[in-house]
Amino acid sequence: MKRNDHKHLSENELIALAKKDKSYFGALYEMYFEPIYRFTFKRLGGDEDVAADVTQLTFMKAMIHIQQYEDRGFAFKSWLYRIAQNEVNMYFRKEQKTKHVSIEKRHISEICQEAQLGRYMSIEEQERLVQLLNEMEDEALDLIELRFFQELSFKEIATIYNISEANAKMRVYRILERLHKKWEQGS
Amino acid sequence: MRKFKLQSDERPIEPSHAQIDRHKNVERFYHDYELLTKRSKKPIYRDRKLYLLMVLIGIILFLLFFED
Repeated sequence: MKRNDHKHLSENELIALAKKDKSYFGALYEMYFEPIYRFTFKRLGGDEDVAADVTQLTFMKAMIHIQQYEDRGFAFKSWLYRIAQNEVNMYFRKEQKTKHVSIEKRHISEICQEAQLGRYMSIEEQERLVQLLNEMEDEALDLIELRFFQELSFKEIATIYNISEANAKMRVYRILERLHKKWEQGS
Repeated sequence: MRKFKLQSDERPIEPSHAQIDRHKNVERFYHDYELLTKRSKKPIYRDRKLYLLMVLIGIILFLLFFED
């Protein structure tokens, strides 16, 4: 395995080499393990071992399909996020039991502000908002998670979904509008 | 299936450096990849069906050869 001869190489050069020789993929693994592990860890609500398995699977799929990666102006990291996103969703689908994912209170506050639900929320109101989120379909939840819990930019979300940045923004704000309506209906 | 729940404490959901280091292992990654992708090394004579198929093909070729 080529371990130390990659330090002078750029990401694009490493990808090109990894397409020909899998041993160069190790350098990409070293570069991106941490952000991808953080991503899966958060999406799985802090489940350390499952996040490690999902991260491992993400990199395996990336190595198997690296020939399909083309640099179309988005970063390799975003391509990895897209694979990780699919792997996490597959994990949730396979799970027979309901998996509870914790949300930090500050993230609830951010959703609350963006959806114009008021500046401050009591614990009961926060619980109610979580309940409303749980009633939404998976696709909407994925977007909410990426934007507010993972704190990804619209550009990064757009890359994951292979859509334009404006489209990503529009989708997120439509979900927030729906959330706002549901909130109003319940009040 | 996933359900959200409000976190009871203020601790951010982030892995520690120790947790990251514990799972970041490129050697194990390559090892797992080999296990996942390598072909079965089972010899032909161990695979009964394939072995019989080979014998059958051999007999057919033998008969075709001696028919002329």
